[in-house]
Amino acid sequence: MLTARRLTLCCLGFLVLLLAALAVGVSFGSGEVSLGDLWNDGLSERHQAILFQIRIPRVLVAALLGGALSIAGVSFQALLRNPLADPYVLGVSGGASIGGVVALTLIELPALAARIPQPLIVPVFAFAGALGALVLIERIATVGGRLTVYTVLLTGAIFNAFSAAVIYFIQSLASLEELHAIVFHLMGRVREMAIGWIGALAVAILIPATLLVTQGRSFNALSTGEEGATQLGVDTERLKRRTFILGALLTGIAVAMAGLIGFVGLVVPHLLRLWLGPDHRLLLPVSFLGGAAFLVLADTLARVLTAPNELPVGVVTALVGGPFFLLLLRRRGASHGF
Amino acid sequence: MRRVIPALALALAAGCAPVESVSETPPTPQRVVVFAPSAAEVLVALDLGERVVAVGSHGPWPGELAALESAGSFDRPDLERIVELETDLVINTASVAAAGGHERIERLGIAVESLDTSTFAGVFASLERVGVLFDRQERAAEIAGEMRAGLERVRVATADLPRKSVLFVVGRDPLYVAGPGSHVDELIRLGAGMNVAHDATSPYQQFSVEAVLERRPEVIVDTSGDAGYWDRWPFLPAVRDGSVYRVEPNVLVIPGIRLPEMARAMTELIHPGTFAQTTDE
Repeated sequence: MLTARRLTLCCLGFLVLLLAALAVGVSFGSGEVSLGDLWNDGLSERHQAILFQIRIPRVLVAALLGGALSIAGVSFQALLRNPLADPYVLGVSGGASIGGVVALTLIELPALAARIPQPLIVPVFAFAGALGALVLIERIATVGGRLTVYTVLLTGAIFNAFSAAVIYFIQSLASLEELHAIVFHLMGRVREMAIGWIGALAVAILIPATLLVTQGRSFNALSTGEEGATQLGVDTERLKRRTFILGALLTGIAVAMAGLIGFVGLVVPHLLRLWLGPDHRLLLPVSFLGGAAFLVLADTLARVLTAPNELPVGVVTALVGGPFFLLLLRRRGASHGF
Repeated sequence: MRRVIPALALALAAGCAPVESVSETPPTPQRVVVFAPSAAEVLVALDLGERVVAVGSHGPWPGELAALESAGSFDRPDLERIVELETDLVINTASVAAAGGHERIERLGIAVESLDTSTFAGVFASLERVGVLFDRQERAAEIAGEMRAGLERVRVATADLPRKSVLFVVGRDPLYVAGPGSHVDELIRLGAGMNVAHDATSPYQQFSVEAVLERRPEVIVDTSGDAGYWDRWPFLPAVRDGSVYRVEPNVLVIPGIRLPEMARAMTELIHPGTFAQTTDE
């Protein structure tokens, strides 16, 4: 049984884990400076720059995006009652990818550069693509006023395939430099931002994430099936639509900022479900914190493993997360639901 | 139809030209498709520019070759166009991406020559090879001699200069730099510089910004078009001393017979004024 005490303790535990991950992230990198140097008065200008303009912003962005992807994943798994659901299953990521790729081929246009600051062109286009896809998919998947699991899954799969085709089309017409930029954009990569923008990103992610966290009881009801949930007094249509929109917003933001970072939204929720059980009241907040810690650590590995070269963080999340998850599934999987 | 007419004209011109000067030597290629800009430069230097019937879609192409039609890209050759143009030789860069297309072209009975021009040694070997292929060995050797002399002049001029640390940027977001094994690395050394990406494991590699800040380059040469980016790190010696240069990629990035000019240009970036007094014929 989930008691208030257990919920508080688990959340506090994961908060500590996240703080530890942030400390690790700030301590390692190709520059020779670490967390302890923050209290060092004689810190050189370049080490200040490395800490305050590169590392700290980057671990904060990684934490926010990891949390967003993970909580979107757990919500979609609850919404679709499907263990394979991840943040990208609804196709919104496809729209964001198209937007980002289009931006990369247009980025040199002076008319565009005059209106949007250059570092924002790709995220702005990608987020617009995500919103467009969200509206389109929601319209298409709503049949007779209802959003059914079946139509949502199919619409998402087909929209993703369609997006891939559009991106291949753009790629085959792109110049070598554009192709390079497109490949790196899609590979999934955390990058540092100005601290003011991180504040805006935090607001944009924490509001939908908090709204999802409050849906724990309804998700629990939904796991008994839609009829069961209705009997328990849950407005399932409203719940599904709300989850779809909030999760898609979080996914759209994450893909717009960092491309397609795989595995966070799939593995972290499953891992925590295997460990802590299927109660969504606990799973939702803990997934956010755990996903944040996971992506911070994965991004630290991406920065350190082949320094001064950097790996795309999506490579690390899959290489580390995949085998670890399979191992846990073998040992614990049989006793729980998905 | 528009494309066929210049092709026909070229075919006629080629037909009129003396094909074999000495009867024993095999005929040299008359209709060439070239995908490597550096090889195109060599062909033009050997007065073979008129034998090129098509070029690749990724230039830049020297002189009149720029107006020629495209026969696809180096990694995705347009086989039908290549056959249609009655090509007898395809010159490409030696690369994994290009190699897949070579077998397909050779299966059509068309010779493929892949040239590795990514290093100084490769440029000289390629020049010699093109000389052999087109029976212009003497002219090729002459050009190679001039190039060696030009490079030697740079070497002498920079021999006693203090070494400066140099970052050479080929792409931003993510940061891509030239490392050991690239001709750029050789140019930096020739220009009395030390590449700050000396431990990069491939000729052009992604590189962390943190590592750049840690290593404090004294000169930054940026071909990415975004050289203003570095202004945000005013403590970098290169930024402080106004030694961040935006350079068009074509000037230094594509190796070829212009290596001596490139070496001079690189030296002028690292140690401005080195050649201010001397004039190189």
